[in-house]
Amino acid sequence: MSKQGSVLEKPLKLEDLLQRDIWDVDEDPHIEIPMDDQAGIPKKALVYLCPAGCYTMIGDKVLFSYEGCFECGLCRVVTPKEKIRWEYPKSGKGIQFRFT
Amino acid sequence: MSGGVPSKFDVVVVGAGPAGSAAAYVLAKAGFKVLMLERGRGAGSKELFGGKVYAPPLRDIWPELDKEAPIHRWVTRERISFVRGERVATIEYSLGRRVGFTTFLPELAKWMAKKATEAGALLVDEIRVDEIVVRDGRVVGVRSGPDFIEADVVVDAEGVNRLLLERLGLVDKLNPEYVALGVKEVLNVGKGAIEERFGLPKGEGMAWMVAGDITAGIPGGGFIYTMKEAVSIGLVLHIGKAAEKAEAGQINKHVSRILEEFRLHPYFKQYWRDADIMEYGAHMTIEGGLRMVPKRLYAPGLVIVGDAAGLLLNTGYTVRGVDFAATSGKIAAEAIIEAFNRGGPTGENLKLYEDRLKESFVWRELVRHRGIAKVMEDEFYFTKAVGVLIRMLQKLYEADYEEPTLIDALLESLAEEDITLTRLIMKVGSVVGKL
Ligand SMILES: Cc1cc2nc3c(=O)[nH]c(=O)nc-3n(C[C@H](O)[C@H](O)[C@H](O)COP(=O)(O)OP(=O)(O)OC[C@H]3O[C@@H](n4cnc5c(N)ncnc54)[C@H](O)[C@@H]3O)c2cc1C
Ligand code: SF4
Repeated sequence: MSKQGSVLEKPLKLEDLLQRDIWDVDEDPHIEIPMDDQAGIPKKALVYLCPAGCYTMIGDKVLFSYEGCFECGLCRVVTPKEKIRWEYPKSGKGIQFRFT
Repeated sequence: MSGGVPSKFDVVVVGAGPAGSAAAYVLAKAGFKVLMLERGRGAGSKELFGGKVYAPPLRDIWPELDKEAPIHRWVTRERISFVRGERVATIEYSLGRRVGFTTFLPELAKWMAKKATEAGALLVDEIRVDEIVVRDGRVVGVRSGPDFIEADVVVDAEGVNRLLLERLGLVDKLNPEYVALGVKEVLNVGKGAIEERFGLPKGEGMAWMVAGDITAGIPGGGFIYTMKEAVSIGLVLHIGKAAEKAEAGQINKHVSRILEEFRLHPYFKQYWRDADIMEYGAHMTIEGGLRMVPKRLYAPGLVIVGDAAGLLLNTGYTVRGVDFAATSGKIAAEAIIEAFNRGGPTGENLKLYEDRLKESFVWRELVRHRGIAKVMEDEFYFTKAVGVLIRMLQKLYEADYEEPTLIDALLESLAEEDITLTRLIMKVGSVVGKL
């Protein structure tokens, strides 16, 4: 069995799955959440359900990084309107799907 | 808008997905000056779906579909599996004719957009529309950054997230109860291996839906589609329920891990053994049941088509999104043409679109199956009923010496899942009525 085959017999880490994708990252973030007052933000939902793993916990705060975003909209739907600024990236930037 | 592109069009279409491209194609063919605006790099670069498309409605728009479209495989086998742990019950149906085909949506969307531009529509990509502009109570065009583009009619084909309609105040913020997250992996299995492992005649394809505990207790299910050389697998998960469970501490792994465990499920993994993952991605979709349809699908100078209009049907055994979207685009385009003949795209004249859509198979299908989304979100079906089935089969097939009668196996399994026979009959009765 090839070496790769054996690696693929275990669940891949999210970082490794994301290696398969192509982005053209926008210079400006297209999504923002506040760092100070995070009351009402469903942190666990964001951490477990954002398919690109853009949300991580640092202490009791959820930290967001927009780079690997799929632009799916899940975070916008589950977060109260006033706690998230959500746009699509501009000028064709962001995820570039090919075989999906 | 940059030099060379005129700034006044008969129709501006927002979004070059199936709905937008179908609308643009029909309008351009009728001689309208049409501009399609797409935020992605070319049409299709923001598209992700499951894998099977219904052909007949698309042939009504593009009779050359079978010859020209990027069809990977015609689906001649449908499977449904019910999973509890490593035990699996599968039904396979071999079709008598070809109704649906598998494809990648980025490819198909690109083809549809090409049909529109060949018919004379102008496609400008890498343009994110920021606003549908209203003046004196009617839509007069769109704005992207500082640029205003004037149009007699705007076709909103922006897809499920419908930020623009929300900003216009025509729809409320998306309700997490009405949408699902699709996560997908594409696996490079190889042509020969696909046919051999799935038992497919050369060139033919399979659509395979999976229900049961592969979703970590979240309402939803799995899908498997054979492409030409790859296999697409994925999960569709109810967002409202998933978020609720996560917040309650009932989800302890990342969605990508749930998908990876599906890929590595002992029953399924043999189909793509040794295959590498070509791409991983996610997209939102509609749970269905007419709940996302805006109060009105038109306004003076505006029509709403496809996912943005909430027109998707997911019965659990089949998904109708692409063909519904394209058909709504076509009906909208024909209504716009008629509206111009009647004196212009006033609200009253564009109402024709909604009227005709409601007479079409799209609407009839949505109404007929309107209760199905609720069924699929009901834990009774996706967990308990699957459990009863698997327990029964286990008792029948895995006995050491003596196997129970069928009825005893059923009654014992029901008891183990804490379901009374009356409840089962009532639940089954109510779901049959909704299919
Ligand atoms: C996981 C999953 C599985 C599915 N499986 C199937 C299946 O097997 N079969 C099936 O028929 N359907 C399936 N669907 C549904 C199907 O993909 C959709 O119903 C269909 O793509 C809707 O077409 P549309 O044109 O309305 O929207 P979309 O295809 O979403 O197109 C919208 C377009 O608008 C663009 N856009 C959005 N906002 C802007 C803006 N502001 N400015 C410019 N451009 C913008 C987007 O980039 C995109 O190109 C599935 C969906 C998902 C997510
Ligand atoms: S849009 Fe989707 S992928 Fe992007 S950050 Fe939100 S949840 Fe994650």
